[in-house]
Amino acid sequence: MFEFLFKYRPVLFREGDFTFLTPWPVGAIMAAGLVLAAVAVLTYRGTGRKATKMDRGVLSTLRIAALLVLLFALLQPTLVLDSVVEQRNFVGVLLDDSRSMTLPADDDGTRADFVRSSFGSESSALVDDLGERFSLRYFRFGSDVSRVESADGLDFDATRTDITSALDRAREGLSSVPVSGLVVVSDGATNAGAAVEEALVPLQAASIPVYTVGLGPETLQPDIQIDRVELPRAVLRGSDIVVDVPVTQRGYAGQTVTMIVEDGPRRLAEIPVELEGDGEAVLARARFTLDETGPRTVRFRIPPVEGEAVARNNTRELLLEVREDREKILYFEGEPRFEVKFLRRAVWDDENLQVVVLQRTADNKYLRLDVDGPDELPTGFPRSREELFRYRAVILGSVEASLFTPDQLDMLADFVSVRGGGLLLLGGRAAFAEGGFQGTALEAVMPVLLETPAVDPRAAFTQMSVRPTPAGRAHPVSNIGEAILPPEAEPREDLDLDDPWSTLPYLSTMNRIVETKPGATTLLSGLTPNGEERVALASHRYGRGKAIAFPVEDSWQWQMHATVAVEDQRHERFWQQLLRWLVEDVAQPVRVTPQRERVEPGETVPLVAEVLDSAYLEVNAANVVASVTSPSGLVTEQPLAWTIEEDGVYRGSVDLAEPGVHTVEVRAAQGESELGVSSAFVQVGPSDEEYFDASRRTASLRRLAEVTGGRFYTPETVDQLPEDLQFTGAGVTLREERDLWDMPIILILLLGLIGAEWGYRRFRGLV
Amino acid sequence: MRLIGSIVPTVLGLAIGAGVLSAGLLLPDVARGPMPDGGAALPAPPVHLPGMATTSAGVDATPGGPMRFGAPATERGTHGLALPVAQNPAAPGYSFYFTRGAYSGRRGGWGRGRGSWSTDFPQAEFYFTQLLGRLVDIDVYTERGGQNPILLDDPNLRRFPFIYIVEPGGMNLTESEIEGLRSYLEAGGFMMMDDFWGVRETANVEYQLAQVLPGRPIVEIPLDHAIFNSVYGIDEIRQVPNVRNGREVASGWVGARTDEGDNSEVPYVRGIFDDDDRLMVIINQNTDLGDAWEWAEDPWYPLDFSTYATEVGINTVVYAMSH
Repeated sequence: MFEFLFKYRPVLFREGDFTFLTPWPVGAIMAAGLVLAAVAVLTYRGTGRKATKMDRGVLSTLRIAALLVLLFALLQPTLVLDSVVEQRNFVGVLLDDSRSMTLPADDDGTRADFVRSSFGSESSALVDDLGERFSLRYFRFGSDVSRVESADGLDFDATRTDITSALDRAREGLSSVPVSGLVVVSDGATNAGAAVEEALVPLQAASIPVYTVGLGPETLQPDIQIDRVELPRAVLRGSDIVVDVPVTQRGYAGQTVTMIVEDGPRRLAEIPVELEGDGEAVLARARFTLDETGPRTVRFRIPPVEGEAVARNNTRELLLEVREDREKILYFEGEPRFEVKFLRRAVWDDENLQVVVLQRTADNKYLRLDVDGPDELPTGFPRSREELFRYRAVILGSVEASLFTPDQLDMLADFVSVRGGGLLLLGGRAAFAEGGFQGTALEAVMPVLLETPAVDPRAAFTQMSVRPTPAGRAHPVSNIGEAILPPEAEPREDLDLDDPWSTLPYLSTMNRIVETKPGATTLLSGLTPNGEERVALASHRYGRGKAIAFPVEDSWQWQMHATVAVEDQRHERFWQQLLRWLVEDVAQPVRVTPQRERVEPGETVPLVAEVLDSAYLEVNAANVVASVTSPSGLVTEQPLAWTIEEDGVYRGSVDLAEPGVHTVEVRAAQGESELGVSSAFVQVGPSDEEYFDASRRTASLRRLAEVTGGRFYTPETVDQLPEDLQFTGAGVTLREERDLWDMPIILILLLGLIGAEWGYRRFRGLV
Repeated sequence: MRLIGSIVPTVLGLAIGAGVLSAGLLLPDVARGPMPDGGAALPAPPVHLPGMATTSAGVDATPGGPMRFGAPATERGTHGLALPVAQNPAAPGYSFYFTRGAYSGRRGGWGRGRGSWSTDFPQAEFYFTQLLGRLVDIDVYTERGGQNPILLDDPNLRRFPFIYIVEPGGMNLTESEIEGLRSYLEAGGFMMMDDFWGVRETANVEYQLAQVLPGRPIVEIPLDHAIFNSVYGIDEIRQVPNVRNGREVASGWVGARTDEGDNSEVPYVRGIFDDDDRLMVIINQNTDLGDAWEWAEDPWYPLDFSTYATEVGINTVVYAMSH
């Protein structure tokens, strides 16, 4: 309609400049206009007594408007455009060669079909039209970019899409020739490389507009997809793992599907998932345990439902390491308490935990339990960082702050922030505020705010029922339901297996903790008999490590209380989960992190290693070597170089060709002494990443075009592309003038205004 | 002849009378009915029971509910114990309560009439808890003289993971007491037995423990066990005499002895271990630690016996609170 009325498409008006080409002076034109307007008004004075003032006003307005339109046309309105010179400019055509292009398009057929038909070696109207005006240069892109002659060279098998790199490479490749623009033909589902925004600035600087052709439907339906899943990098053997798996769907709202969790052939869990509204994500909570050590590939999958548009986005595989280490924890207790006894008993059978107890029995008199030898903790609490940092975690019981020297308190804070250890703070008459920790370095580490200490802690004594918060329910520490009774025990009606916390006895506290610090998470809350809500278990990250507050002094009631059966294992399970979480992800002196945990055969994997000494201070200029063992046992070595800009950070890369899981072991040494060893795993194999979120990213493609001065098209509107490219203003151009006086809208307006004036006079009887 | 005829019956009569008296003292009380009127209950220090009272219905602990301190108590007498009860708002929040097990068994206990469980009560716990709180950094309950006697089938027993049983030679447990004590120990409770002598009493102790923990042997605890060096280093097992024998020893009486007859000359420290080789029960045989605590301030009772008994007691408590 616009083109019918205004003779040209809107893009010409947007790209061009409007002007009048009349040779007459403006003053003369204005004077002539005023004379004509005066004549028009005066002629209505003689229309007789029948015409009212309003009639004369309306008629005058209509006639003046008609005169203005006529005057507009006589002024020679013109649209001035910069039009590219034919065959003097280049256009880069970037064709998406990834697997998502094999998915359905809007019509019958696939996205790849459009690419082949439009940009193949066989003639197409689009390419012909473009070819008349421009020299075309074709690029294919996926995870890499390369030149091709046409779309015939594409196999649509790339397992990743990196549009940013494609734009950069094309821009650089055409930097020596005049470029009118880049055309990106893709569904826009980028999943690799830098964000597309990073390519915009260089394109804007080079004044290269990007024209995007979006393929595929904006929503794939019907379809079920497992979205991104997060797993810890490493866990101890036997640890409970809790994962919230987001599942989105379209077309299956209200249905229930089953999500299966597997470790190789072993089925770990089956979870029913009730799907919510279209496009809404529902979290499916999976709980499972991994008992085999080493790298494990955990698979989350939902069996495809009949009619699904994409079936390969129903499965996610993640790699994590199951370790068989024995993590050493130092439990420092300020007085003999039954909490020591029952905590030790709770984790007695856990082969992956070693709880070393240092218990003060009297002034300067300590009881040491489960130490490795007589040389461990000979003088009480560690006095040096080297001695303290040997432990993976520290538990502080009812120990007053004045028992520590200021340096020891600083050391404890550094233990968490620098060493990355875990710190668990228990309740007691000499703990938290009652222990005088306000204003100490340790207060900053705590995840809770300290209240004014009770003058008499015993007067502050209260009991509370403990329940998990919503955040706590998604955490392994609250997973104690299966431990109520052993599998062979008789069922009991008084126990609610679905709510194992409801039948646990009250616990006691002398420390009033009601608020956490910003960023801390409350996992368990307590309710006192007078209705006050307390914090029972809270944590936060502090520096490299984590700090957990458990302001309770008698969790052993969950073992000894008369209402708890002898065979009940909830107390044991709680403490095992809590301590395993406490030591989870605790830093080692040497730590290697592959920048990608899953790659295609032949791809390069960047490695980053952090090297620290026994005091967990960065070490520069160490000798760091990565040994990579392939699935077949082939070992290659690659030295890592210090980055210089970052203390203790070393980088390198390895190329992995063989499919399977590769082991990367990094050793760091300084002189003759070894600083440490770290292992990581990389999985080599084809990825299905392309099938996730594979709908057309209209917003992203449109933004890419508009910011650079281009336009967005669909297959239905792509025929406008050649003409639009002609007027980009980029490349070699010439000035073109297009007349506007003969726009149909002008004739229509003129006839309409004159007709309206005559019609009004007829209507009013003034004719 | 006439003299012999008058002397012999007299001597025989005295012997028989002494035997009857001794039997009355030594034989366990098997009565299960209520205590008869006019029973030989001598005035005794008031007994304070902590925590919730039990009803005749049995378990009174509310699942998941808070412990109620200072609730009215109910007298129990279904098993023949003359057990005076009273309200005891024992202050909560202490780390350690010296808990004395009140069991069914022999009555008398040197005339106190309450049962052998109450031997040395309440002075023994009064002095021991004072020493414990003074020598070791334990938050020990010392209010009301540190008294905390409790019935073995009381559900509240599980609130106190350490229990002291005195004169178990006179113990005769009911089924509910056996069950209560068994669940207590299997859940993680620790029991200290003290003050029983000779072959007969030892046999009774072994019999009672076999009811509570069938299949678990009673073994001797070696001196290198952790309980002998948890606080103090104990390198020998000494026989601690009762107060009378102790005073006689201190006074240098000829023939003074520390044992109490019936082949009780040698003291033993035995125990019962759980499946993870943790000590559940410590059995102090042929010794009387309780008397040594009770008479610690008596100038006629040897100080070294009290010192030794205190060290053993403290070591036992600290061990029980950490293992």
